[in-house]
Amino acid sequence: MFAAILIAGIFLSLIAQEFIPPLAWLHGARVLIMPVILFYGALALPFGGMLLLAFCAGFMWDAMTVQMVDGAFEISLGWSIILYATLGAVMSGFRPLFQRGRWEVHCLVSGFFTSVIVLSEYVMITIRRGGFVFPNEIWWRIGGSGLVATLLAPIFFFALNWLAPHVGHEIEYEKKGFN
Amino acid sequence: MRRSNIIALVVFLVAVGFVLALNPRNTIKIQSGFLGIVAPFFKTGSSLQLRVAAYREGLKSLVKLEQENKLLVVKNRELAQKIDLLKGLEEENNRLRRAIGYEERSVFQLIPARIIARDSGSWWSTVKIDRGFDDGVDSDMPVLTEDGLVGKTTTVAKNFSTVLLMADETCKVSATVEGTREQGIVRGERSSSISMPEMTLNFLSKTADLKPGQKVFTSGVGGVYPSGVPIGAIKDFKVRELDGRAILIPSVDLTTLQDVFIVVGKK
Repeated sequence: MFAAILIAGIFLSLIAQEFIPPLAWLHGARVLIMPVILFYGALALPFGGMLLLAFCAGFMWDAMTVQMVDGAFEISLGWSIILYATLGAVMSGFRPLFQRGRWEVHCLVSGFFTSVIVLSEYVMITIRRGGFVFPNEIWWRIGGSGLVATLLAPIFFFALNWLAPHVGHEIEYEKKGFN
Repeated sequence: MRRSNIIALVVFLVAVGFVLALNPRNTIKIQSGFLGIVAPFFKTGSSLQLRVAAYREGLKSLVKLEQENKLLVVKNRELAQKIDLLKGLEEENNRLRRAIGYEERSVFQLIPARIIARDSGSWWSTVKIDRGFDDGVDSDMPVLTEDGLVGKTTTVAKNFSTVLLMADETCKVSATVEGTREQGIVRGERSSSISMPEMTLNFLSKTADLKPGQKVFTSGVGGVYPSGVPIGAIKDFKVRELDGRAILIPSVDLTTLQDVFIVVGKK
């Protein structure tokens, strides 16, 4: 049930993102909500659930963004799935801390991984188009998206953490002390 | 690793392998299908955005609307007269062209469309419009406004399409410079500013004597874009080792674009 809610959340965040203009004061960095929900899912769901979430998120993102250039797709449909699953698996490694009821570090990691996603996209299109250029504008867009995701993460983590028990999803928090 | 995790991983890898192995034709079908699913959400979001914008602007008074309506009626009559005059000129032009053995200049059939969303990706310059194959739209159709070229359609769904903007690095258009015999290829810049996108006109001759402000039009070479559509104006010209390169200011403000026309064919 909670996995389905997170998938719906990813779908809606993908649509919402398209209505948020790029941030001019951050050199055109985009507000990316979808990765934040994905990384929360990587913490709240078991490994199989994380893979399902990464598959849905990567598939939807690629279906919406990849462009055909000169008769061939610039980036293959599906590459984002692998990237999201890899980052999601790393995020899952932070679960023990999350299960102790802490998620400050995870918010920072979510932001950092969002930047990794944007950077990976840039590297992919650079390899495809040629001309390995990295002016300041590019770094601002990569870092800016991560920074915005870091700021958004606590809000989404808090809201989803509140929602989880209401829909019958138990996050297996570790009990304090020795039993 | 738990057994259930291993099974999940195997299923995941098989599914990913299947998606990655899709050929471009099937990928287009999937993209088109997915755009069809998200289209109603985008349309709802877009109309909500318009309502919010209207609310922020404030409601106009009835008197103001009446005045505006009167002005529009007059403007409409003026424009109708101008169209009649232009039709006559077009006929005369075609008659003269026929007389001297030139091909008739055709008038393009345009479909109006509204931009309902902008790409949230960091590296692609695309917009989504509310017209699709149900309206006669196909991929690689030119999109323009009264000011000039906007881009071309790429993925087309039932009543929804993606438009690749001129500012995108992958959108290449053959162009000519006003008052010269110079021809080149216009394309967007990967690292140009989102708020002030710049384009470059490449493969010009090194001796090209281009001045800032000179206009650049589509040349019609390649078959995708009709000739004579404004693209932009020269901002700067530089000679490189092998060719000349000009920086252009787009004739259409791609950041505030709301309504466009799709060239669906000749009348």
